[in-house]
Amino acid sequence: MSELRNRFASSTLLSDRKVTQLMGFTLLVLLIFSYFSSDIFFTPENFTSMAFQIPEVAILSIAVMLSMLTGGIDLSIVATSNLAALLAAYILTKHMSEDGEITNLWILMACLAGILLGLICGGINALLIAVLNITPILATLATLTLFNGIAIGLTNGVSISGLPEQFARIGNGTFFGVPTPFVLMVLIALLVALIINRSSLGLKIFLIGTNRKAAQYSVMGDKRVIAWTYVISGLLSSLAGLIIASRMSAASPDFGNSYILLAIVVVVLGGVNPMGGFGTVTGVVLATIVLQMVASGFNALRFNQFFYLAAQGGVLVLVMIFNVVLENRRRSKSINKSLES
Amino acid sequence: MRNETVLILAIVIFSLVIGSKSPEFFTLANLFDILRSSFVQLLFALGVLIVIISGGIDVSFPIVGIFAGYTAVVIMQKFELDGESLLIPIVLAIVIGTLLGGVNAIAIAGFGIPTLIATLGTAGIFRGLMLTLIGSSFISDIPIALDQFSTADLVKFESAAGTLVRLHVLVIPITIITILISLILSRTLFGRSVYALGGGVEPTRRLGISVKGTQTKIYLLAGALSGLAGILYVSLQRKANPYDLAGSELDIIAAVVLGGASIMGGYGTVFGTVLGVLFINLIKNNLVLLGVSSSWQRAAVGALLVIGITLQAISESRRNKRRRALSEGEVDSNE
Repeated sequence: MSELRNRFASSTLLSDRKVTQLMGFTLLVLLIFSYFSSDIFFTPENFTSMAFQIPEVAILSIAVMLSMLTGGIDLSIVATSNLAALLAAYILTKHMSEDGEITNLWILMACLAGILLGLICGGINALLIAVLNITPILATLATLTLFNGIAIGLTNGVSISGLPEQFARIGNGTFFGVPTPFVLMVLIALLVALIINRSSLGLKIFLIGTNRKAAQYSVMGDKRVIAWTYVISGLLSSLAGLIIASRMSAASPDFGNSYILLAIVVVVLGGVNPMGGFGTVTGVVLATIVLQMVASGFNALRFNQFFYLAAQGGVLVLVMIFNVVLENRRRSKSINKSLES
Repeated sequence: MRNETVLILAIVIFSLVIGSKSPEFFTLANLFDILRSSFVQLLFALGVLIVIISGGIDVSFPIVGIFAGYTAVVIMQKFELDGESLLIPIVLAIVIGTLLGGVNAIAIAGFGIPTLIATLGTAGIFRGLMLTLIGSSFISDIPIALDQFSTADLVKFESAAGTLVRLHVLVIPITIITILISLILSRTLFGRSVYALGGGVEPTRRLGISVKGTQTKIYLLAGALSGLAGILYVSLQRKANPYDLAGSELDIIAAVVLGGASIMGGYGTVFGTVLGVLFINLIKNNLVLLGVSSSWQRAAVGALLVIGITLQAISESRRNKRRRALSEGEVDSNE
């Protein structure tokens, strides 16, 4: 009986201390801003608008999380998402009639093309990192420059706007009252959670992140696992790009440049270990919600956007310091304990 | 083949290709232009090189640079300091850059945060604080000495074709600084510690080198170089725009990496970095002469970077294989 209860407890959210802390933190942020700005922040309109903005950051952050779980990093997420969005936008504008009508088939084709491009971008990262053994930071820095450069070169730096209304309806519509992007995000989060918690690929990802050498010696095909994380990361980035394009009804080579910092802040705040081996999808989604609330709250309190940028950097550094201090204390405690015994 | 040799070959081949297409490439004016656009980047690149050799990565340096440059100009104006003096703003910027480098040092050496994450965070903090607290408006009336310095030419004459050929006086101090950094890296205890640190943190500690001390010095020095680069950028542009430079980190990291510095740490040369910076500028400045639109500059840098790191990775794995084969051969002969 107690074993059953233990198993139940370990499968619920509260079993993870980091997630519990984050939930408390989320509530705290919610209360603070609701108190200080009840007329603007604590309104249904604001929550709806947040629900439209959260998904894109959350999906990009989940992409970063996947690469971080293996001890790597993917800096090319935003460049990939913009490139995918631009391709989709190009196809859409090419095949729409004068008055903005387009068949559903072409919308599907455009989305599929974007997703395919995302997979290709992820594949290039996978090739550089898993096959050629290039450090993930460097490889994705290079592909970030390349993908972004191709996007700028193809468009001359001008954004493609005026996408067909049917396409824009996806990103701005609601599904039983819930914003469609939010529904998509929940689906993607569930799927990724399923992969990393319930599949052998997920287990291998954690093992590689915990100890790459040991994973290599156990002949689990560590290169293939790492390749998969970057391919999935590319796929998720392209999905985020399509959602952004649909919500904005436009695609541009320099949308969301600040999202790289934001995504890494989210991932670290969400309790993912940047060295690899630990992290949860729930944590990442919660962290996105916290940061979006902070952003909206700052906005409601009329702080300027650069103050929010400083706050993001501050949160990143503070959370890292907090983690390091906590880790050191735990280690010295366990050393003391082993010395005593 | 050494990385520097490959780069020199690449530069020569590229120059010949462009030169054959457009005769205006092989002029002194063009060479001096490339040099002029390389000064600031080279200073940044030297700081990045030191960080990369030590096994870290810094993405905050352009923000540190513009923070230092912009703030120095703001302080000059606010306290009505002597606008005729060139030394005051430069010293101010270096001091500010060093202080910001100190913040990086605290995060990295003090708390042991991974360098990419630490500098990503501090870059956000610095940029956010600069634009909210110090100022977010463009300053075009920078101190007179800084303004005049932008046209302080060492050599200036009119070529036969009638174009003005100018070599900026900065070529001397930048050369001196470059040689100095090279000497520091190769001849001082600090420099060798930087290489040791890049080779491995634990072995460095066992050697009796203070890891934290070395890291602190690295980020202070990188901060100082960025500060200097920032104020020179302001001077050469003849305006202080707080929104500038952000996003330029990729080009400079690309130049350092193309110059052969290993991002895993432990390897890198000043000469390679100089070549890397010149190569990137050569390509960026002359893409137009090849008939390629300038909007493809970034893609060109990206493609170069991808090719560069791929070549390095392939030669690295080949070297490893050879080493393994050699050591296996030794084992065989021992038996």
